[in-house]
Amino acid sequence: MGNLVQAELRKTTTTGLWWGLLIPTAVLALGWGLATGLLGQFFVDFASSSDVDEVSDFLGVTPDQWKVSLFGMARAINISTIFPMIFGAMAISGEINRRTITTTFLTAPSRMHSMLAKMLVYVLWGAIYGLVIMLFVGLGVVFTSSAGQLPDAGGWAMLTLVCVMSSILMTMFGVGVGALIPNVAGTIVLLLLYFLVIENVLHGVLAYLEVPSVIGFLPNGSINGLTGSVAVDLFLSTAGVVPPEIEDVLRAIAGAAGALDWWWSGLVFLGWAGVVFAGGWAVTQSKDIT
Amino acid sequence: MHDGSGLIAVQNLTKQFGSVTAVHNLSFTVSPGSVTGFLGPNGAGKTTTLRMLLGLVKPTGGTATINGRPFHQLGQPGRVVGAVLEAQGFHPARSARNHLRVYASAIGVPDAQADQVIGLVGLGSAADRKVGGFSLGMKQRLALATALLGDPQVLVLDEPANGLDPEGIAWLRTFLQSYARMGRTVLISSHLLAEVEQTVDQVVIISRGQTMFYGPLEQLRQSQQRRVLVQPSDINALATALRAEGVHAIEQLPDGRLAVSGVDSRHVADSALKAGVSIYGIQEEQVDLERLFFQLTSGQYAGHAPAPFKQQGGWA
Repeated sequence: MGNLVQAELRKTTTTGLWWGLLIPTAVLALGWGLATGLLGQFFVDFASSSDVDEVSDFLGVTPDQWKVSLFGMARAINISTIFPMIFGAMAISGEINRRTITTTFLTAPSRMHSMLAKMLVYVLWGAIYGLVIMLFVGLGVVFTSSAGQLPDAGGWAMLTLVCVMSSILMTMFGVGVGALIPNVAGTIVLLLLYFLVIENVLHGVLAYLEVPSVIGFLPNGSINGLTGSVAVDLFLSTAGVVPPEIEDVLRAIAGAAGALDWWWSGLVFLGWAGVVFAGGWAVTQSKDIT
Repeated sequence: MHDGSGLIAVQNLTKQFGSVTAVHNLSFTVSPGSVTGFLGPNGAGKTTTLRMLLGLVKPTGGTATINGRPFHQLGQPGRVVGAVLEAQGFHPARSARNHLRVYASAIGVPDAQADQVIGLVGLGSAADRKVGGFSLGMKQRLALATALLGDPQVLVLDEPANGLDPEGIAWLRTFLQSYARMGRTVLISSHLLAEVEQTVDQVVIISRGQTMFYGPLEQLRQSQQRRVLVQPSDINALATALRAEGVHAIEQLPDGRLAVSGVDSRHVADSALKAGVSIYGIQEEQVDLERLFFQLTSGQYAGHAPAPFKQQGGWA
């Protein structure tokens, strides 16, 4: 198994795809960090300058101490992890597309061995992407936010943890879908459509039907819940007493409307990744490589 | 684990793709120590058979084993069998050396082995070039190098001469023969008998997914008797003289010549002299393996001669 993991790792490092996708990931993360940081700063400036004392009384702290950057970071992480997901999606579909899968299967004890080795290597890559995303999101936010809006060391650590987890899980999900739909273009289009359009529409419909709690069990809803719930928890931990209605609004801002607790969200998405991978495995196992 | 015999055994192998039967009840064995040609016209089921042997395609029925085991039970298959297949891909952006290193680690052999096989197939100077820029022949050499990485006991090659220049084909021929002489098993497919005739010792000929002939190439040659074609001054006199000597396989050809089987041209000439018959021409017919091959495999996808032109109008 160690041999196959090394082989799969070499596959990823001997072509330019890893950095070809890592660069736009970093740019996107930085851009979203900068933009959301600015937006949060505007909001805080506005809140501080107007007569919204009631709100600050309500939250128990003055606006300049609101850790609004957390919401932006959660959103920035969510959008940036689309790239590691695409990277993962090309793991198996790319090999089928280029017909290198033949040699891969000829040199592995079984197809399951190949796929597991691949999954392990892409977990590692997911973590690397996650760290890079956190670094650039953090840079963007730090650059545009004043110190009062930034989390403390514990908050940074927690966000980094969920960012890396989120990136790993998204990569794993991509690997599974890439095995399930052995077509690079098809896989990528489907993933982008689903994560950027279809499920967002679904969230709207579910909210309209007044069953927002279902959202937390959907793939995008649960992965957003992982980072969003942490952002909301961190925000609330310094914001005093907040009524439930406001908390729902905050969750929506963080992109975690209807989401479960962060660790539950993570488990739900891990479940989705597992289901997709199992499906991809079943397809790959019985597939005739012609 | 496998028995290390180097034996390939295909038994009652059948593959159905939907309503199409690609391989039908195919059986043959390939022994170590010789090069076996796996022959048949395009679409006869060669590639599908080889892919079933290598665990890439799941048989509908029957078994295909290497060293007594199906492919997925070989443990580390890269060390037992190396394969060069059609439509076997390379990542165009990966260098030849890196390609080999990827699979060297998968098989569990040191990187030095990658450098060794790349030199062996004559790609040493192109090792660090991206495979995307390789010619078909260079890709074939790289595929062979990949197959050799694990120093396998069994080599399976699907149309390996495709894209190779004459020099490459000559090199491949020598290479495969010496590989087999080391006591290893070499199975090589082709749709042209002539292409592998000088390379192989054994042949398996298939057509329409079925085995048509299976045995030594020499046996195939002998299965067609040599004939002496002779043009005598007196056909009847020569035929009578030959019959008197116990030669009965005599046949008159449409061009007026006699075709005599079972004896050589010298024998026929001597008989003619004794019978006082002049000979205007005599030749020994060469065994045409290609023609035999056509006879064995004919019918599949056979084209028709163009229909004769018919005049439609009545004014001619």
